[in-house]
Amino acid sequence: MNKFLVWIDERLPVSNFVKNHLSQYYAPKNFNFFYYFGALAIFIFILQIVTGIFLTINYKPDAASAFASVEFIMRDVEWGWLIRYLHSTGASFFFIVIYLHMFRALLYGSFKNPRELLWIFGMIIFVLLMAEAFMGYLLPWGQMSYWGAQVIISLFGAIPYFGESLATWIRGDYVISDATLNRFFAFHVIALPLLLFALIYLHLAALHTVGSNNPDGIEIKKNKDSDGIPKDGIPFHPYYTVKDTFGLSIFLIIFAFVVFFIPEFGGFFLEKDNFVPANPLQTPEHIMPVWYFTPFYAILRAIPDKLGGVIVMGLSIFVLFIMPWIDRCPVKSFRYRSNTYKILLSLFAISFIGLGYIGMSAPTPILTWVGRLFTLIYFGFFIVLYFTSANEKTKDIPERVKMHE
Amino acid sequence: MKKLKTYLKESKCMNRNLLFSLLFFFANTVQSAEKTSLNSVLIDLNNKPSLQRGAQIFMNNCLGCHTLKYQRYVKFIDHLEMPKDMIEKNLIFTTDKNGKRTKIGSLVLNAVNSDFSKEAFGVVPPDLTLIARSRGPDWVYTFLTSFYEDNSRPFGVNNKLYPNVNMPHVLWWMEGLKAPTSSGSSEYTYVTNGSMSEQEYKKSITDLVNFLTYVSEPAQLDRYKIGFWVILFLTIFAFVAYLLKREYWKDIE
Repeated sequence: MNKFLVWIDERLPVSNFVKNHLSQYYAPKNFNFFYYFGALAIFIFILQIVTGIFLTINYKPDAASAFASVEFIMRDVEWGWLIRYLHSTGASFFFIVIYLHMFRALLYGSFKNPRELLWIFGMIIFVLLMAEAFMGYLLPWGQMSYWGAQVIISLFGAIPYFGESLATWIRGDYVISDATLNRFFAFHVIALPLLLFALIYLHLAALHTVGSNNPDGIEIKKNKDSDGIPKDGIPFHPYYTVKDTFGLSIFLIIFAFVVFFIPEFGGFFLEKDNFVPANPLQTPEHIMPVWYFTPFYAILRAIPDKLGGVIVMGLSIFVLFIMPWIDRCPVKSFRYRSNTYKILLSLFAISFIGLGYIGMSAPTPILTWVGRLFTLIYFGFFIVLYFTSANEKTKDIPERVKMHE
Repeated sequence: MKKLKTYLKESKCMNRNLLFSLLFFFANTVQSAEKTSLNSVLIDLNNKPSLQRGAQIFMNNCLGCHTLKYQRYVKFIDHLEMPKDMIEKNLIFTTDKNGKRTKIGSLVLNAVNSDFSKEAFGVVPPDLTLIARSRGPDWVYTFLTSFYEDNSRPFGVNNKLYPNVNMPHVLWWMEGLKAPTSSGSSEYTYVTNGSMSEQEYKKSITDLVNFLTYVSEPAQLDRYKIGFWVILFLTIFAFVAYLLKREYWKDIE
């Protein structure tokens, strides 16, 4: 090691950190496709922070000039359009990546003992991310920004006794207004990113304490060689740094294609109505949240009562938090679990996607009933799983992980 | 059309009550929810002469009431491939607050007082910078080719796509005026001829919509070209990254 690094190392444990978390941090060697999304989520988080900083340089959090400042960025700021599209596309891709990252945990039982806290930190990140995205969506101050926020904030009004006061307190006004825009800006650019940063740190700290799960759901730390190195483990660096670099490059090709060729993504990432400035006097024909909220929005709409809808929607997210105690099967990976679990998980995935579709469609009587059916399946997954998982017939788990290439 | 011109001239001295009743009449028009199928328009932002003609039509006919308030004239130099003095001579007709000729770095605004236009039309004519993005080019094209004679309306015209719209058929002098062959019919014949044939008019509207599509997102001119090179680079990068990964992983079983 050269003198400068020695000098640093005597004062800051840099080389220890690199050893503990990269070059001598052992990860299972059988990671598959689903294991790219953690690293990709970190990449997008950094991308959002960096593009966000550049956007705030020209964005004006003021109801009278917010819309125009976004168009100023799109037209008159050098590369402003690229920065804005990276940020708007990044938001949607963040959710694609996070949903796949979460589904991975359900496939391979990554939330189970000893990773319960890791999962809970992840769930808090998910909730914070939804708040971050929701507040960010108000900032362009388009029609859908305005009315989407109006609808979602008014949900707090359904809470008995203090609901209306709470909604007014959140908005800082009786309707969405300049006051709301200002505070959402503060939360979006400072408060929530700081919290997200802290939670991501805790999520990684918890991960590196217990180690990664893998597609076989085997604890590699239980099978170590004479040097104390897991037999099925490989150093994160260089093996997973090069593998994730490859994964990132494939991700970037898809991401760049959207950014440069279809940034609106057919109205899913940037809605048509959001190119009309917010108008408190004119409600758009069809108010819909951005696609990543639509599964939960569909659950809200499935319940005929407003307060009931809010409670059930809240439950649909809360129930994920207690997943480690709902799924009582000791076998982690679906590979070695019963067909019952495979069927349940498939139905859950179908209902989630179905709810997403229903949440973005204009309500019709048939769709409302299909939405109710999917809501039932969504919750049914957790209820049935709780009762079947305790005595589930599972297959034999192998001693060592299997490589699938 | 003549109705509008005389109306605009006389309106200043018009009786307040009359204006109020007119305002009331216009403001009560409702957009029909009925969906009319859209005609598709061929957008080609590389066709600079088309964009230039579109800009000319816009500045001559639309800017009187509608603005492009997020767009700057100076961008036309690169985007429409027009020299500075040609833009100043042929596209800039407005003046600033002090009565001086609008400078080329300015936004594309007009001098219309919004209170006045609200009195005249019942609504403030919307800014059109993003109309091709919020409605889509096909909608704008269909809208501008769907005016027909309807004497029950204040301006003597109605629109098939946007029934009871508060906008007069400003381009009637180009298109002429068509009327349904019989009441309720969807067949039209021209009752007044304009300066253009039907084909020429459609071509001009295509130019105009082409221009508005460019204005709605000038970045389109760059992003496809840059995107191609970015993806080419990333593909090569991915290939190299794959080889690197394979090299490192060859001894992992």
